Amino acid sequence: MTRISEMPDSPAPGPARVGIGGPVGSGKTALIEALIPIFVERGVELAVVTNDLVTKEDARRLQAGGLIDPRRVVAVEAGACPHTVIREDPTLNIAAADDLEARFPGLDLILIESGGDNLASTFSLDLVDWWMFVIDVGQGDDIPRKRGPGIMLCDLLVVNKLDLAPHVFVDAQAILAEAREVRAGTPVIGCRCKGAQIEGVAEIADAIMRAVLFRQVAA
Amino acid sequence: MDIYTSILGAADAAEHHDRLHHLAHHHAVDVLRLSRADLARRRLRTRTEAGLEVAIALPREQKLFEGALLALTEDRALVVRVETEHWLRLAPRDTAAALRLGYFCGNLHWRVRFEQAHVLVAVETDARVYLERLEGLLAEGVVTLLPDAGAAK
Repeated sequence: MTRISEMPDSPAPGPARVGIGGPVGSGKTALIEALIPIFVERGVELAVVTNDLVTKEDARRLQAGGLIDPRRVVAVEAGACPHTVIREDPTLNIAAADDLEARFPGLDLILIESGGDNLASTFSLDLVDWWMFVIDVGQGDDIPRKRGPGIMLCDLLVVNKLDLAPHVFVDAQAILAEAREVRAGTPVIGCRCKGAQIEGVAEIADAIMRAVLFRQVAA
Repeated sequence: MDIYTSILGAADAAEHHDRLHHLAHHHAVDVLRLSRADLARRRLRTRTEAGLEVAIALPREQKLFEGALLALTEDRALVVRVETEHWLRLAPRDTAAALRLGYFCGNLHWRVRFEQAHVLVAVETDARVYLERLEGLLAEGVVTLLPDAGAAK
């Protein structure tokens, strides 16, 4: 049984904020596109903040995709290093999330997608409650053992595009095993977000719901 | 599972002293031990030292701290305590080495403290991760790793 313990005059905690970081082209936006229908089906009220360098490309893609009310997607133009606006000075993203929270009071969850970056990219916990880092098998089988801060410090490491492994001559299972080894048991999930056979995305939704929405999901 | 959405106050506040003292005598003060890094989180799900699964969902303007009181009833209390931090104590050989080490730590966004001529690096993940990065400076002999005296707070 879940009991909520609160002071009578305390402000509501607001929606959970989850960060999604990772290199350019690793599939962050595709992962969000795959997660949205799952959250909708589960009754999770969702909004998204995207980050791009000098455009609103990712926001426009999500807004045009028909998966989510376009007004629930807000773009932040990072202008320079993408990690600056999610770590050193996340005020632009905090303001964007605050804006969504004010316009949609029933939100449960705000996903904040970083601009594509390098393996050193991490999120400030002033901005997000929990964050994941997305890499893909096409980047090479040595990415996990490079132990970038993004790989080591995230709450969940996602290894995307498992289906591409044979085409780029890498062993997806070996990459996953090595990722689990370098992260010393902290969560790693492999996935494919596109195509006829979606894989691992429901598990990622489960992880988010368990960690920050505190909902029971099947083990 | 209990979800705590506010901080009641500080465990060392005078107004809570008597009741906490009474509960402590009855072994009814449970502790939520968190790493310093996790203190920055507004939402998390974890277990108390007594083994209870709990969740925290705080408003954005509130922040966890050492001694934050999350529950205080007639028969139980829950207090946040911060885990002892581990630090790498590094001694640069000279001024030039100190400049290099300072730049290096800043470039990797490591949290540091200074004690006399030593740089102390907070170990927020596996210590091996830090030592691998420092390998070059240590091998070169411009920086020496000293035993952690546990002096940093």
